[in-house]
Amino acid sequence: MNAPAHIYASFVFGSLLIAAGRWAPAANAAPPPAAKAAAATPAPSAAAAAPPCEACHGAHGEGMAAAQVPRIAGQSADYLRKQLDDYADGTRSNAIMANFAKALSAQQRAKFAARYAAMSAPYTAQAKPLNAVLLARGHQLAYQGDESKRVQACNGCHGPDGVGVPHAAPYLAGQSAEFLASALKAFQDGTRKNDAGQLMRSVAARLDDADIAAVTGYFASVDLSTH
Amino acid sequence: MVQRLKEVDVVVIGVGMVGSIVAKELAAAGYKVVGLERGQARFTVPEFQSPAIHDELRFDVRKALMQDNTREPVTFRNQGSQVALPVRRWESFLPGTGLGGSMVHWNGQTYRFQANDFQLASRTRERYGKSFLDPDVTIQDWGVTYDDLEPHYDRFEYLLGTSGKAGNIKGQIQAGGDPHESPRSREYPTPPQKEHFQGALFRKAANSLGYHPFPQPSSNLSQPYTNPEGMKLNACVFCGFCERYACEHYAKSVPQTIILPVLLANPNFELRTGCQVQRINLDSTKKHATGVTYIDAVGREFEQPASLVITSTFAINNVRMLLLSGIGTPYDPATGQGVVGRNYAYQTMSTVASFFDEDVIINPFMASGASGTLINDFAGDNFDHSGLGFIGGAFIGAVNTNGRPIQYHPVPPGTPNWGKGWKQAVVKHYNHTVMFSLHGSSVAQRQNYCDLDPTYRDAWGQPLLRITFDFPPNDIKMAAHVTAKAVEIGKAMGAKQVAGNPRKGPYTVTQYQTTHNTGGTVMGDNPNTSVVNRYLQSWDVPNVFVIGASNYPQNASWNPTGTLGALTYWAIDALTNKYLKNPGRLVPA
Repeated sequence: MNAPAHIYASFVFGSLLIAAGRWAPAANAAPPPAAKAAAATPAPSAAAAAPPCEACHGAHGEGMAAAQVPRIAGQSADYLRKQLDDYADGTRSNAIMANFAKALSAQQRAKFAARYAAMSAPYTAQAKPLNAVLLARGHQLAYQGDESKRVQACNGCHGPDGVGVPHAAPYLAGQSAEFLASALKAFQDGTRKNDAGQLMRSVAARLDDADIAAVTGYFASVDLSTH
Repeated sequence: MVQRLKEVDVVVIGVGMVGSIVAKELAAAGYKVVGLERGQARFTVPEFQSPAIHDELRFDVRKALMQDNTREPVTFRNQGSQVALPVRRWESFLPGTGLGGSMVHWNGQTYRFQANDFQLASRTRERYGKSFLDPDVTIQDWGVTYDDLEPHYDRFEYLLGTSGKAGNIKGQIQAGGDPHESPRSREYPTPPQKEHFQGALFRKAANSLGYHPFPQPSSNLSQPYTNPEGMKLNACVFCGFCERYACEHYAKSVPQTIILPVLLANPNFELRTGCQVQRINLDSTKKHATGVTYIDAVGREFEQPASLVITSTFAINNVRMLLLSGIGTPYDPATGQGVVGRNYAYQTMSTVASFFDEDVIINPFMASGASGTLINDFAGDNFDHSGLGFIGGAFIGAVNTNGRPIQYHPVPPGTPNWGKGWKQAVVKHYNHTVMFSLHGSSVAQRQNYCDLDPTYRDAWGQPLLRITFDFPPNDIKMAAHVTAKAVEIGKAMGAKQVAGNPRKGPYTVTQYQTTHNTGGTVMGDNPNTSVVNRYLQSWDVPNVFVIGASNYPQNASWNPTGTLGALTYWAIDALTNKYLKNPGRLVPA
């Protein structure tokens, strides 16, 4: 856990300087030109002034697995907007994201959410796929749950094979295992607590490290383009 | 060939809510307990998981969680002069089967009855005079008081983790709760569920009319909760699939989530599923039970000897078990003599539909089974019945539990029953209608009872239970009165059209109303008018206890489960602290 977090921090702070040079998130008045452009053409052009999201979340919202940065392309706009709002008001804590989110108006946050919700990014295979035993365990947790741990199936809320249920639950399918594991850990230790009804905290508390490796690796293995 | 098994201390017939709780306590007290369940074992994982559990055709229409009425139906008639016929498809009420019993498919509405309800006959006479009631009405006192049951209500609610707002703590009225409730010793274990939009509309209108709206007490929990048994429950996600379904989220309090894991871990307890109990066996004196006879899933017959037999099946099946076993005198409506099957009662359900313009978005599917808002101003004896010609009442609430596509189609009166006109009306009104439920009391009446059917038998060759029931005139009058009040609330909400549908006779078994069947093994102080004493012990066979909503002498204005939980702990208290220390009659006959 510690190593990737460290990579994440150093990487992002490095990028931040670059990003800030191109487009300052603290600009307080008009919506950023990039966001306006995005409304018309969801796929950003490398040449155009890009918002800082790209630096970490990628040009297509594909995320950065090694740094636990989530894939956000095609994620539900409601979910993304809620996360940005939660970063802005401190309900979800992350120093980097809080900086950006606080600098944006509610309207701008909604626009960014919509922009990434409209994107698509090709599936990225995992660097280290799971072995068959863990994959089977991950599939079991996704589809069925585990009565001995009182854990219900992930798919019950996150949709068939974790495709997500807009308005309610984010997709897990194709998300990086590294990000998913960091999220589950954050729910476990209470550093993330913006889940309605403590639903994710309740589930995460009952998973052990092997379960987390299995279920996050399983969802990372699901390539939605083949569905 | 009947195989005789080794004797145990206790046999529990039916491992549902009551059976699980009783067995858990007795096994923990050191007794060897066998639980016989006719249905299958089932748990949140894997049996209750989605998407399978959200199959509306399977569970709502085809009643997959219910008693198998291809093998074990009941027969029904409205009046004693008619021939009863088997109910081949459950509609009016839905008795469950399988581990966890009917509670698995409940809505989680967790009420207490009021102090008045337990002394209904004497308090009605006191307040309205001896000749107020129709002479055919056979209401009676319970033999226990609210104060007797309060600690047990409390224990049950904390077992479930019920989400609600107290209205009266030790006599102090609490803002936001139900001011009509009888005093409770403390606040609910968890705060109320979030109010949905229809509840908010109702609250505003009810307040404007001077009523006292409060959040429905729900055992679909508002937040995570760890009960005194150490069981952890999750918060409800408002999926709208409670009643008729099982909860996939460990968020609804059912035996599987609140107590079964503790029970099943106790080596003093043995669960046997697929076991159809044929009868409680009596010795030659007919005053002592020797155990039970059951047939297992592959047709083998067993005798399970036991020192104590507890029947904790669904209400009407408790009645049948006693009748099949020859315990207690069957009730005869011609003479009014006998007790088993007497005072069968139900619930008097009315509805009010408020139709809004299309700019009012209700989203009826965003609900739990008990996330509504209601008033008790017209429930029980909370209003003056002088001159009204009836007793009892109903709670009125925006307590709609779902917007499921096959079953939920509110349309205004005058809409065609099928075809294009019906479809257009469904589309127009689905998301712009508030449905009130008026959950009414049910008096016992001389002509309403249960007995064994003379003709029809179950798959094992045993006579079916026959229900003879129609709505008493008292309850029809009550329904009309309370429905008129509810229509006023619908109008105060600003609905464009308000349609009141007061319950009218005759009772029909082919239309869903509620699964609140009560009576038939009534509790009380007098062996001539009750089957069990105040501790739920058979007057006739003291080593048989009968626990169920079948103990209710008549039914009150609220869902019966909370009171059944309280009675269960009340009976356990008597069993562990009195009976088992010195087996014998707890009340002289």
